[in-house]
Amino acid sequence: MTAQHEHCDPAHGCITCGDQALEMRVVAVDSARGLAVCVDDAGRAAEVDTLLVEPTAAGERVLVHARVAIAKVGAGVAA
Amino acid sequence: MRFVDEFRDAELASALSREILSVVEPGRHYQVMEVCGGHTHSIYKYGVDDLLPENVELVHGPGCPVCVIPMGRVDDGIDLAHRDGVIFTCFGDMMRIPGSHGSLLDAKAQGADVRMVYSPLDALRIAQKNPEREVIFFAIGFETTAPSTALTLKRAKAERVENFFCMCNHVTIVPPLRALLDSPDLRLDGFVGPGHVSTVVGARPFEFIPADYGKPLVVAGFEPLDILQAIQMILRQLAEGRCEVENQYKRVVPYEGNRRALEVMAEVFELRPHFEWRGLGFISQSALKLSDAYADFDAELRWEVPGVRVADPKACQCGEVLKGVIKPWECKVFGTACTPERPIGTCMVSPEGACAAYYNFGRFAREREVV
Repeated sequence: MTAQHEHCDPAHGCITCGDQALEMRVVAVDSARGLAVCVDDAGRAAEVDTLLVEPTAAGERVLVHARVAIAKVGAGVAA
Repeated sequence: MRFVDEFRDAELASALSREILSVVEPGRHYQVMEVCGGHTHSIYKYGVDDLLPENVELVHGPGCPVCVIPMGRVDDGIDLAHRDGVIFTCFGDMMRIPGSHGSLLDAKAQGADVRMVYSPLDALRIAQKNPEREVIFFAIGFETTAPSTALTLKRAKAERVENFFCMCNHVTIVPPLRALLDSPDLRLDGFVGPGHVSTVVGARPFEFIPADYGKPLVVAGFEPLDILQAIQMILRQLAEGRCEVENQYKRVVPYEGNRRALEVMAEVFELRPHFEWRGLGFISQSALKLSDAYADFDAELRWEVPGVRVADPKACQCGEVLKGVIKPWECKVFGTACTPERPIGTCMVSPEGACAAYYNFGRFAREREVV
């Protein structure tokens, strides 16, 4: 699951170097290992560390930086 | 697409632009600094500055992770990359940051085993797959990225990975802001606060800015309307005589930050007494190193690094750009000797660097019509 490598190459810029984060949707949770499979809006999947935002559930949107979910999106606003 | 489309709506942008026009005082010049390079990139990608009155000037701050890495640290990294048996890993843009004798990409061309990774965890996995080699991860970034490095080091410790090392260059956002505010040649009216750093540290650490320096700060997201609204909130505070920290990015940023991220960082890192920032010089307690509990993973303890301080090239004015003293196009090598293809300065490397943002979006000079 290396789709996000497309966002990190010397020719087009690295989103991790740029302090950017990517909104992704959780599709499967492995709570025992603190990991989840998430997809971005283009449908690209990646394995993401969710230890910092647990508990997570399929369908939730998370903000991912360097393969780590650092926040839940929409947690502070009404659904 | 929720949380995206509504933040790129042209009619809402026009309405915000009119609101901004209604709160600015004619004849007063406003300077608002966007701290984060991600904001700089969005401003020029979407033309946010074209929706502002002429008397509202955006000043670009030091929040671009690769832009602030001093040349000496790059040289130290390259020195380690050439050691026997080492696999040296780093993020993509970092490979192109010029040291005094070339970049990590040049070192790779010369035979060093330098590999690009997307996350620290990728570097750890390389170490696990190559137990006969020693793998170094060159860690950079603000508090957005530091939790990822910290979690990876915790995993390395739990999984007893003994050939994984970290050269830690993580920096913290508050000390350089205080250094900028103490700078006599900078006159700012307010700050657009860094959205992604704030998901980790929260908005509270910025309260010293209104309290000690009398300037408002609004934490903002990265869509064009996020930034426009944050500027409107800053200007409204000024018009109403208020001065406080506000959070425009509530859909992601809790005011208190991410407690778990802060805890894992506190376990794995400790503050360095001082650290050199490109263009800003040495700033006290502005960077992180590995704590004693993680000393076994510290590349700077495993190997002796030169640690020589290297002056920036004379032609490069990244320091003035990072302090917001000059605009990128005012640098004498901007767009000529220094381009994204052949960068001299760090600000031209990452798309979030102010110089690269200006260059890539055709802003070779400030030519805006009065609104």
